[in-house]
Amino acid sequence: MNGINFSVPVVRLDRVTKTFNGSGPPTTAVREVSFEVRPGEMVLLLGPSGSGKTTLLTLIAGLAQPTTGTIFLFGKSVEDYPAAALQRIRAERVGFIFQTFLLIDSLTAAENIEMVLRFTGKRRAERSRKTRELLQDLGIEYLAGRFPRTMSQGEKQRVAIARAAANDGALIIADEPTGSLETKQGFDIIRLLHRQAKAHNAAVILASHDLRLKEFADRTLRLQDGTMANS
Amino acid sequence: MDMYAVRTLRSQPLRLALTIGGVSLCIVLMFFLLGVYRGVADGSVEYIRRNDADLWVLQKNASNILRGSSLVSAAQADALASVRGVRSVSPVLFLLSTLKKEGKVRTIFLTGYEPEKGLGGPPQLVQGRTVRADGEIVLDRSFALKFGFKPGDEVDLQDYRLRVVGISRGTNAFVIQYAFVTLHFARTLIGFPGLATCFLVKTDRATGLNEVRGRIRSELPGLEVYDHPEFLANNIREMKSGFLPLLYTVAAIGAVVLTAILSLLLSVNILERRKDFAILKTLGSPMAFLWGLVVKQAMLIASISNVAALLVFFPLVQVIERITPEVSVESSVVQILGVAAAVEAMSLVSSLVSIRRLRRIYFLEAFA
Repeated sequence: MNGINFSVPVVRLDRVTKTFNGSGPPTTAVREVSFEVRPGEMVLLLGPSGSGKTTLLTLIAGLAQPTTGTIFLFGKSVEDYPAAALQRIRAERVGFIFQTFLLIDSLTAAENIEMVLRFTGKRRAERSRKTRELLQDLGIEYLAGRFPRTMSQGEKQRVAIARAAANDGALIIADEPTGSLETKQGFDIIRLLHRQAKAHNAAVILASHDLRLKEFADRTLRLQDGTMANS
Repeated sequence: MDMYAVRTLRSQPLRLALTIGGVSLCIVLMFFLLGVYRGVADGSVEYIRRNDADLWVLQKNASNILRGSSLVSAAQADALASVRGVRSVSPVLFLLSTLKKEGKVRTIFLTGYEPEKGLGGPPQLVQGRTVRADGEIVLDRSFALKFGFKPGDEVDLQDYRLRVVGISRGTNAFVIQYAFVTLHFARTLIGFPGLATCFLVKTDRATGLNEVRGRIRSELPGLEVYDHPEFLANNIREMKSGFLPLLYTVAAIGAVVLTAILSLLLSVNILERRKDFAILKTLGSPMAFLWGLVVKQAMLIASISNVAALLVFFPLVQVIERITPEVSVESSVVQILGVAAAVEAMSLVSSLVSIRRLRRIYFLEAFA
């Protein structure tokens, strides 16, 4: 079980700003962003390339720290989680989907999914059972023993969804999940993700530049030059 | 074994093969050095170890026959024989000498002894018999193999022609080999009829060894007396002090090279797969899991290399011993297991060196 507490937002951002201080002048990727995502909700973060979507996702996942503002993950400020606790949260309660799928090339589809389950401390038999179950649910049992290099883009993204859902987490973070797919394939993938998330009451934060994904989202948040405007 | 660890290594077969080859050669080098050490150790002191003398008596302040000089006289032999509790005294004379064959000169450690007394002769004969009279010689096996001598052959020693009557074992001290002749002949060679290097003493059983030793010391203050274990220990210590530092240095270089090769491969693997590691980190992999992958790879390479080294080592030793018989390589199970365990430990060190790179892989690389 993903231990969802329906009274607490899965994610809440309170005036979050992220500024990068490199060798050049400081760049603010995200500015004063506030919103929350409730359990089972699918939120579309809509914005063009460079609008700060990916930065926002990495902040939500605790992979980077905001410059100012606070991010609450499962009711607690990300800053208050020790690094090890954040790692456990990512392993046990958060799923990730990337634009380029980012499956491990040297592992089969089943092994890619099982790898994530290892981080949750599940035993081998349980991992195998869960992997088989996910592959069946997503209709991709035939991919179990295949390596990513032998799969189509759509197949890879299906495996990536299975991997993101493997821990039965309360939150799935998807960064441009349809970016490398053709339109129909992309819609199929989002439907699949939608179905999978709803079945487990998982919240989904979906970052995309594709306006057509609005029809799948419970709510759409527009991001432009790091600033947010509800729509 | 983790499939990721295995498949990542297998994805670059040539690199893996070269690494295993390099590590295996380092292991073979270590097996070889330890084997040579044991061969030298056995060869250098086997003569003493297998000797039945109760006491070894040398010139005052001499403690061994490997790297010390001792000269004792016939008069001292007579005095020694008269000490109460001494049953027999067998003088032995060690000389560096040269054998000639087909115009080439070979150096030997000539040992003159009294065959009729049965002490001081070859520790083990593998062919023929021991010397019985002047004009006969027993040669070391590796010396005989190297220079093509066999029983029945004739060799020139200075101005004398000797007949090879036997081949001995345990008489190869690596840099030089023992050869055995009668004491009388050895004395003739140097022109001092009563001279010896040391005396091998048998004592009466009724008298305690320490008691006899004490009497010799008090009655013959110009002589040094050792019991068998003490004299053996003295010679082993001498042998080690001259040989071990070199061995350890070369073995240490081998170990460093091995660790460097392994560290390099693991580091390259990590760098090449840094995106994988960034993904795994992002997906919630504990650092210990990633470390474990690298350690498993290191252990896998070390284990395969150990097996490969073992498969190469024994045939290689046979070839080396055929080409250079004086190189005596003696290996034991304990030695081989020790090296294998050390290699596994070094692979662990290599993985620790490489693991530092994992820390410098950032989550955000997965999103790049």
